[in-house]
Amino acid sequence: MARSLRGRMRGWDVMLFGILAVVVTWNAIDTPGYASMQNQVNLLQLGIERSIVVLAMAFVIISGEIDLSVASVMALSGAVAAAMFERGMPIELGILVALLVGLACGAFNGFWIAVVGLPSLAVTLATLIGFRGLATMLIEDRSIGDFPQWFDTMGQSSIVGPFTFSILLYGVLVIAAAVLLHLTGFGRITYVIGNSKDVARFSGVRVAWARIRIFMMSGTIAALAGVLYTARLGSARASTAEGFELDIITVVLLGGVSIFGGSGSMLGVVLSTFLVLNLRNGLSLAGIEGNTQTGIVGALLILSVLLPNIAASVQDRRRRRTAARDGPGGTPPAPGEIPEGAPAS
Amino acid sequence: MMDAVLRRVRPDQVRELTLVVVLVAMIAFFAIQIPNYLSPRTFTNITTGSAIIATVAVGQVLVLLTRNVDLSVGSIVGLVAYTVGNSLAGMGDVNPVIVILLCMAMGAALGAINGAIVAYGRVPAIITTLGTLALFRTGLVVISGSKTVTTDKLPDWLVSIPSTSVITIAGVDIRVLFGIALVATIVGQVVLRYLPYGRRLFAIGSNPDAARVAGLPIRRDVFFAFVGSGMMAGIGGFMWLGKFGNITVVSGSGLELQVVAAAVVGGVNIFGGAGSMFGALLGALLIQTLQTSLLRWLGISQFALDAVLGALILFAVAADAIILRRMQEAWVRVRRQDDARARASRDGEAARGT
Amino acid sequence: MTIQAAPVGEPGRSGLPGNDAPGAALAPVLEMRGVSRAFGSTQALADVSIALHGGEIHALLGENGAGKSTLIKIMTGVQQQDTGDILVDGRPVRVTSSQDAQRLGVAAIYQEPMIFPDLSVAENIFIGHQDRGHIVDRRRMRREAQEVMARLDVSLNVSDPARGLTLAQQQTVEIAKAISLNVRVLIMDEPTASLSAHEVNQLFRIIAALRRQGVAILFISHRMEEVFEIADRVTVLRDGRWISTRPAADVTPATAIRDMVGRDVQELFQRPESHPGEVVLSVQGLGRAGAFQDVTFDLRAGEVLGFAGLVGARRTDVGLALFGISPSDSGTILLDGEPITVRGPQDAVRLRIAYTTEDRRQMGLVFPLSIAANISLPSLPRFLTGAGLMRRKMEHQVADSYRARLRIRAPSVDTIASALSGGNQQKVVLSKWLETRPRVLILDEPTRGIDVGAKVEVHQLVDELVREGMAIILISSDLPEVMTMSDRILVMREGRQVTIVPRAEATQELLLAAAMGQEAVSFSTTVDASLDDATFAEPPA
Repeated sequence: MARSLRGRMRGWDVMLFGILAVVVTWNAIDTPGYASMQNQVNLLQLGIERSIVVLAMAFVIISGEIDLSVASVMALSGAVAAAMFERGMPIELGILVALLVGLACGAFNGFWIAVVGLPSLAVTLATLIGFRGLATMLIEDRSIGDFPQWFDTMGQSSIVGPFTFSILLYGVLVIAAAVLLHLTGFGRITYVIGNSKDVARFSGVRVAWARIRIFMMSGTIAALAGVLYTARLGSARASTAEGFELDIITVVLLGGVSIFGGSGSMLGVVLSTFLVLNLRNGLSLAGIEGNTQTGIVGALLILSVLLPNIAASVQDRRRRRTAARDGPGGTPPAPGEIPEGAPAS
Repeated sequence: MMDAVLRRVRPDQVRELTLVVVLVAMIAFFAIQIPNYLSPRTFTNITTGSAIIATVAVGQVLVLLTRNVDLSVGSIVGLVAYTVGNSLAGMGDVNPVIVILLCMAMGAALGAINGAIVAYGRVPAIITTLGTLALFRTGLVVISGSKTVTTDKLPDWLVSIPSTSVITIAGVDIRVLFGIALVATIVGQVVLRYLPYGRRLFAIGSNPDAARVAGLPIRRDVFFAFVGSGMMAGIGGFMWLGKFGNITVVSGSGLELQVVAAAVVGGVNIFGGAGSMFGALLGALLIQTLQTSLLRWLGISQFALDAVLGALILFAVAADAIILRRMQEAWVRVRRQDDARARASRDGEAARGT
Repeated sequence: MTIQAAPVGEPGRSGLPGNDAPGAALAPVLEMRGVSRAFGSTQALADVSIALHGGEIHALLGENGAGKSTLIKIMTGVQQQDTGDILVDGRPVRVTSSQDAQRLGVAAIYQEPMIFPDLSVAENIFIGHQDRGHIVDRRRMRREAQEVMARLDVSLNVSDPARGLTLAQQQTVEIAKAISLNVRVLIMDEPTASLSAHEVNQLFRIIAALRRQGVAILFISHRMEEVFEIADRVTVLRDGRWISTRPAADVTPATAIRDMVGRDVQELFQRPESHPGEVVLSVQGLGRAGAFQDVTFDLRAGEVLGFAGLVGARRTDVGLALFGISPSDSGTILLDGEPITVRGPQDAVRLRIAYTTEDRRQMGLVFPLSIAANISLPSLPRFLTGAGLMRRKMEHQVADSYRARLRIRAPSVDTIASALSGGNQQKVVLSKWLETRPRVLILDEPTRGIDVGAKVEVHQLVDELVREGMAIILISSDLPEVMTMSDRILVMREGRQVTIVPRAEATQELLLAAAMGQEAVSFSTTVDASLDDATFAEPPA
């Protein structure tokens, strides 16, 4: 039966939730207090910057593109804020400028991709190198620190109970992202563009502008995350956040967003964020080191697509075997209706 | 007249020619700016510095042509380098050829894992190779126990590879590493141009639906493209071992992006269907020339290197797309004109009362 | 192999092939017996049998959803049947892959030609051939490709990249490929859908030659006139079941349609006279370099202006210019007397000009989205609150009203577009543009590839719209459709406007002559494609 787009997503979300529940339960067996709110908050805190960028990356991938430059924008924004601070300007101004720089980076990406029409993989590969290069130009190989106290603890200071500023910010962003993606025209257009840019264009959608906005959002959010990360580390380096983009993309893909664009949900992405955090933590508690954790997440990513594929082909083969045994059954298609997966006509 | 030229020339030939011109121009520029630039040492630096990337790029081109990508090559390089290096330490005299073959075999095996998942498991290449990038790196961590391979444990011939020359022409050394890259590029180019397999790779990337309908063995061909990419990464691992000697857990990290960058600058279409090994080699040389030369050029601080590199890659991709678009429009225009001319002459014949 | 005109009996309707076709009395080259295939819970084919004989053109008719393409996919090994047998020369075979089909000599050519733009023509022909040796011999490939092209009497530079070939040329390359593989069964799925009359003639000549060589041809087309011109036998499928197989001589379009639809359907909707009002759109000297030039016409409210012409006349380009996808660079467009510039679809929507594309798949609908989401798309701003949130309920209601009005057959407006048949999809496309409340509606091939029943409904809708005062441009390659639906007909040829003819004066001969750029010659009412008629004079294109 043909269900709507959102209906079909729920299967993946359910699977994620199931795996998450298993992981949390497993971890909770050995570690008392694991499943507590405080612990989850701590976990989230550790990966908050990446989790924030994940929200924006979801839009990028749903729209059919990819942004490899996000980690470099994180580094650049931290470098900008730090460099301005070093030159005597108030850190608040530095943060503001850093966000604007992120916006500009996104607009830069968006221009080459949406206006000139270059492939996003190639463009953001170039800007991945280029933006980090700008950060290097700015602060060279130094490490700038000595920020005001409030800046360093900004992310970690509790605002409401166990919830820090960063956590609350993340919560707000999650809600905003979910509303934006699922309830607004902007979100609808994102899905449409991811499905077919041509159809969007022929339907009167301002495709180029929508794509630029998505990249601008990605750049700004990455800059925000970069500022938070710099604050947490207490210092800015040009090599900050190296390699984060792959983690971020992995979490988004694991969240059920199709690499081909056009489908995915914010719920899935948030679930996979928590899944990866808990999984890594559990592995860490079991004594497994960082790179191996990444490997296990990588395996999970592959299996999340591979297993359903195998299941589908086994099911197909089994059905054909029973059909061969029992003869044709089922009802013919209702006039005018073609089943999912069947070729047209 | 221009049309006649356009008719005979292929887009990737145009690309390769452009790259050569740009490379020559760049060298000329630096020769003016930097004293003693045009020396054998510069040649050696550039060629040896780009050798590993160029070699691994040969495999990447196979994959890119089919509209896939292999992001795991960096991890394969590290894993192969470590495993083979570690095995060598403690062994006596081993034939270098055996060592290379071992590296190729191991790389091919790892590539086969990628190929199986992508071609037969139907998992998109980005997802698969993102996953194996992490998995292979984990393999390296597990096998090495986070220890490193150090040069003192390696046979002398291996450690001295960077300084060994294959041939010296007019005082200019062609080192072994670059020799390997050259051989790999030539073999790869032959495969692409003269083997049916190579032509099929273009077809698969050019129109996957048509490839399916035409009955091309897509899954098998894509599988072997990944095996090829892994194998070249294996050779890259050998080269890495020879060049650096010290292999750590993070060896090879980030290489994949440099390799894709070299291919992209070299005119390999990210969407498949077009590109050449020579192009990738030129792309690698171009990037390396920029990196080494900028360092020596006092006009720009060393810290601006990456920014310039990023700009170069962007410029290359943009130029490629614009040139390709122009050529395609020209093709269509030329063809329409030919059709119109043919029809006009047929009309003329009919009018003359045939 | 040369293509000659041989004096044989009656062309087309002679039933089984004439005496010069080899193998006429032998077992069928390809036979499907009791073939069934299901997808999920729906039965695409149920117990279908068909036999293809060498030297015979077998037409396959059926509405969208009847199972034709599934049948083809099974014949070519792309899918496998659940039950049933496939026999080649009377022996059962298993066709489990495209390679198997290729080895058995089964080839298919589709409406969208499957070529590789980055490879040369010669490579396109020979790619995937199993035994051409281990080294690619370019010179030999080029020579052999030229030979095949010569046999087809087509002049194409085989070394050129395939990119930029016209649709007809691409098709020829595909046929060349089939010939080079010694095809025994050639399946042609809507091959003439995008061809000009001249190209159709050329294609039919090639088909005739193949027939003479003993190739079995399975021909699928929605164009009745063509089918009855060249078919020897006609098979009808409906809802995945075999309905009938009869010699073409024993079938008429009416009986065929009755079999296809299961009921009697009036073949063509006859539009009554209309009374156009004020001039809404006035186009003067419109042109775009390299596409078309000097197009001048007035369009009134409440009238249908048909755009007739052969493929290559560039009528779609005029539509695209008016809609802003490919804006014009010369001439003026006046809307209600005021000059306008349309630089993009957003401008067009704002000016209340709408355009339904001829290519539903690529440009008409977002297939994974629901009917409702598709309908609201061009008018999206109207479905948003001030803050930018979607008004889902409103979207649903609006979509429901279109579902009722256009009789879109779907369980609900939440059904995704890909689950609909071609006719219903086209109705969704129409709905989405009607929702933009256009004053000028440009319909580009609105009934192409949709079944007879839906076609009539679309025509009825157009009539209603016109009666409500909409100004409609109808671009169509279906001459009967253009003639019965239009108040006036503008004929274009190769980017130029030839004439505007009022309906009363329009005859098929006149329109065709104008479209081909010559004095009216006496043709029969359909494009005369008698295959073996030695005296047939081919009109220059």
